[in-house]
Amino acid sequence: MLRKKLILLAASAAIALSTNAALAQSKVLKFVSWQKDERGVGDWWASVIKAFEEAHPGVKIEWTKVERGAYSDTMTTLFAGGTPPDIVHLASFEFQKFAENGWLEPLDPKIKESKLDLTGWAGQDTCVWNKQTVCTMMLYFGYFMAYNEDLLKKEGLSVPKTYDEFLAAAQKTTKDLNGDGIVDQYGTGHETRGGGGQYMSEMMNYTLDAGGRWTDESGKVTINTPQMIEGLSRWKTIVKTSLTPRDMSAGEVRQLFADGKIAMKTDGPWLWPIIQKGKAKDQIKTAMVPFTPPVGGSSNVLAIAADISPENKKLVWDFITIATSDKFQSTYATLGASPPPSPRADISAAKAENPNFDLLVQATQAASKAKVDRIPKGLEIQFNEFSKMIMEESQRMIIQDLDPKIVAATMQQKAEALQKQ
Amino acid sequence: MKLGFNLDLARPSRRHWLGYLLLAPAVILIALIIVYPLLVSIDLSFQNVNIARLDQPRKPFTTANYERLFSSPDFWNATWVTLKLVVIVSFFCFLLGLGTALLVNNKFKGQALARLLVALPWAVPEVVAVVIFAWMFDSSFGLINWIFIKLGLIDTTVSWFSSPTAAFIVVCITMIWKGYPFVSIMMLAGLQSIPEDFYNAARVDGANAWQRLVNITIPSLMPVLGVTLVLVMLWVFRDFSIIYILTGGGPLKATQTLSIMTYEQAFSFFKMGYASAIGVVTLVVCVIASRLMIGRAPDTI
Repeated sequence: MLRKKLILLAASAAIALSTNAALAQSKVLKFVSWQKDERGVGDWWASVIKAFEEAHPGVKIEWTKVERGAYSDTMTTLFAGGTPPDIVHLASFEFQKFAENGWLEPLDPKIKESKLDLTGWAGQDTCVWNKQTVCTMMLYFGYFMAYNEDLLKKEGLSVPKTYDEFLAAAQKTTKDLNGDGIVDQYGTGHETRGGGGQYMSEMMNYTLDAGGRWTDESGKVTINTPQMIEGLSRWKTIVKTSLTPRDMSAGEVRQLFADGKIAMKTDGPWLWPIIQKGKAKDQIKTAMVPFTPPVGGSSNVLAIAADISPENKKLVWDFITIATSDKFQSTYATLGASPPPSPRADISAAKAENPNFDLLVQATQAASKAKVDRIPKGLEIQFNEFSKMIMEESQRMIIQDLDPKIVAATMQQKAEALQKQ
Repeated sequence: MKLGFNLDLARPSRRHWLGYLLLAPAVILIALIIVYPLLVSIDLSFQNVNIARLDQPRKPFTTANYERLFSSPDFWNATWVTLKLVVIVSFFCFLLGLGTALLVNNKFKGQALARLLVALPWAVPEVVAVVIFAWMFDSSFGLINWIFIKLGLIDTTVSWFSSPTAAFIVVCITMIWKGYPFVSIMMLAGLQSIPEDFYNAARVDGANAWQRLVNITIPSLMPVLGVTLVLVMLWVFRDFSIIYILTGGGPLKATQTLSIMTYEQAFSFFKMGYASAIGVVTLVVCVIASRLMIGRAPDTI
């Protein structure tokens, strides 16, 4: 009888063990990202996934692409439905809503335990929400200026170094080339259609240079200031006098620039791969932006969903550890063609490959030093509403030809109301 | 062994049970995928919820979302924009739809091709149609500005998406182009069901083409017209993709309909309770409008 019981026990144990082994073999971590298939940075993510899977036999990462336009909705639905992805990839202007809902795992204990050194990590401060680190910053960027050397030379212009020189150059290079009444060539290019976040980033070229900030260090709204009024006035001049094509998305403007239809463009590191595929790539040169400080900011973050199993959390942390390792931060520079956030990354290979890499690093450091971010302090949770309001009031200023002073006062009042909500 | 419950569906008094049994799966499915979300939405509209989660405890009952909604200028603006859009788009869809249906109902060489061309916009996916129209009306490099300048109608380019009026017109034109073929197809089906004898008798009585249209064609089409009107109106009311891709509701909320406002509040600003309240109000308006139109249709025949 005892023998029979022992046999049964052994059989049960064997079945349980084999089931566990089978489960371990088929473990899948869900990873949703808008950067899949993106040349450069998409390849870098693929290399991180490959390294993770090699280090964790039997664990697969199911990598799904969701378009940026539908990303926020999709992620909200996944989290709200109780089926979040294990590896959470979010834009730095949207993660706060998820953190506020308690959907992101606090990372401080894991950082401490694994001794991950985030000292000097660009933009990492942004990841601290309610005094807890909830993510790791994957990119902090600074804007540089690309210009079409031929178009500037034709007008006898040198590379602008101040706003006034930039404005004069933009006015001279905006032209109707064939006399049909339609402007064919623009001095500069900005997105004036689409999301509020991008619209705000475009405006910030001028508001930052004029010395304006949306909020101060303590989160107090500072729009109704002479500096911001000057910045709004500059934005109005550029758009109202059509020195930029109107009603275009950021992607369309970048393509026009790459094809030689725009003389000067300020943008982030992602502009370079687009230039390389454009018709005017041989005429395009780069320089620091003629604005001080340059637009800059945090871009995207990596986090762990709070609702997943402890085992999965541990695996996702391993994934983050690989992504933030010196080795992969160094390859981020070469594959992603952007300065990595890690101060320890070896960027010599990237410098050898990309002649603009030093400039990108310089722009990033300038923006970081000036503590520039697209997401104003004190308005992180209301960012989408805030940026939409800024876009609408700016459009109103341009369409109805309003005084920037009145517009700044309206923006101030509306921003304060949003903070009180 | 005899079963305690014997369901004899062959008995004349129980034959209708079979019908209910066969309908049950479909009814349960509809209840699950339509009625349940609707009830959840109504429930959410009475809670102060930012991001909704079904596994979280229900928040206290409040009418704050409705109070805020009815005192919001944005809501009344969206209602006005939706109403304008419904009236204008439905009217021109009917005008064009009826006109083209009457045209392709005649026998002529190339009638099959003409019918195909009339129905073509209906077959084009909405997103594709919108991208084409967005390019045509592009402020800097669009076809329409180029044509207007060549024809001497304008001397400088029109910023179609930077002007509230121009943007509204572009949305109307795109929706009419996309919506009129449906009316045309419905009208054509209606026209083909009118007996030729009616027209022959009218001709014998000396009725001209206009009199035949007003006294025979239009009244005979009334049942089809009523249903089509409701369907077109509901389509304009709920359509989201055309406006969202073309203008995103701007500029200055000139094209922000109730659908766009609902989406924006729910997925851009994450105010799901408030967004649900807009959705519920939109639903009530749609139900009332549909009931009024369907209720009136038979009287007008």
